[in-house]
Amino acid sequence: MRLERYEKPETAEACVALLRQYGSDAKLLAGGTDLIPRLRAGVYCLKAVIDLSAIPGLSGVERTEDSLFLGSMLRLRTLQKDTPLSAPYAVLSRCAGHVSSMQVRNVATLGGNACNASPSADTAPGLLLLDAVCRIRGAAGTRTLALTDFLTAPGVTALQPDEFLEGFLLPPCRPHTGAAYEKYSIRGDSDIAIVGAGAALSLDAQRRICHARIALSSVGPTALRMYDAERLLLGQPVSRELLEDAAHLCSTACAPISDQRASAAYRREMTRVFTGIALQQAYGQAAATFPSR
Amino acid sequence: MRIPDEGYAPVRVTLHVNGRECKLLIPPHQTLVETLRSELLLTGVKCGCDDSNCGACTVLVNGKAVKSCCMLTAQADGARITTIEGLATDAGLHPLQRAFIDHSALQCGFCTPGMILTAKAILDENPHATEDEIREGLHGNFCRCTGYKKIVEAIMAVQRGDYDS
Repeated sequence: MRLERYEKPETAEACVALLRQYGSDAKLLAGGTDLIPRLRAGVYCLKAVIDLSAIPGLSGVERTEDSLFLGSMLRLRTLQKDTPLSAPYAVLSRCAGHVSSMQVRNVATLGGNACNASPSADTAPGLLLLDAVCRIRGAAGTRTLALTDFLTAPGVTALQPDEFLEGFLLPPCRPHTGAAYEKYSIRGDSDIAIVGAGAALSLDAQRRICHARIALSSVGPTALRMYDAERLLLGQPVSRELLEDAAHLCSTACAPISDQRASAAYRREMTRVFTGIALQQAYGQAAATFPSR
Repeated sequence: MRIPDEGYAPVRVTLHVNGRECKLLIPPHQTLVETLRSELLLTGVKCGCDDSNCGACTVLVNGKAVKSCCMLTAQADGARITTIEGLATDAGLHPLQRAFIDHSALQCGFCTPGMILTAKAILDENPHATEDEIREGLHGNFCRCTGYKKIVEAIMAVQRGDYDS
């Protein structure tokens, strides 16, 4: 691996200027736990890396009346252990905790996990459950883009060459909402998932489902929202059969591949199983927000 | 003899390694494991897979366990770094080192430096770590010799206070 320069801009403007200057000869460096091994393996041949860690305003959590902002440089371990988030936002801490190992999580970042855009990224389903919107900075200023539109293909995002991800805006959550994420892999978190299943359910005063989100990792080219299953759940009182039907619909709607970890058929079956588990957990959390009868 | 490569912009970094300040001028592409082993001759830091999986290269950066093969040295500028060489003092081996020996928690020893530093990070952050939490914390460190049981026993012995002087 060889680089000509290591750049560490101290402002967003300087970063954008460097991106324009280098074009495809440079890549952004967040934690580096994906980038550095790929550079060493020769997957990329670059002149420079542009380290984002000195740019202010990217590492924090900002709460406003109508949103929660999570900076792209928030380390996954910080998100997992040291970031108090109320339910259902707390599902993100669980997702972050599923990424790889402690050493990687100490360095890897929330934004890096998203921009690396692996189909199996564990934080993507959590962000999708919470309707995350990406805040992107480029030469033209700042723009926003729903995460569903940001993740476009394996390893590919909607970032333009002169842009970097500032962070994620999460809208306020409804009352009586539960959110869960279950990762199924052979060798625990340091293995890539066979399926990662996320679910968020909001209940109305009559305990019917008034809002549903289901997001899966590792069973499609990107993290996937399961829109048909969500529509199936809306307006319904919760029953075991309803949640099973929704999980079954997800197993047919996803698009898994066969690889060394699992066959597509096995992935579909595990999608059914783990989506069911995530839905049960989300419902349990939501139901627990009502005063006990 | 090093053949000079002048096609890059060297990076000045200051690393505080095992209590000593090291001012270095390094290539921008040098990883922390390369710097520690080749520039500072701290060959207790092992380079195993060199692609972020095995954990043999684990060191502590500002007290946190990090895989030094997937970090550019430039990223660690200004950081406090602890390698296995920094654990023992004039008073003797660190409790984790003694426990690993006493419990036969090493065979070939290649994973051991990284394993001990990860164990230190686990216990420093969570002195009351349970066996499950210790095992979970070790997920990033592979051992092909011992089957992990003795490693976990050694760490639990330290956690329990068996090595408190």
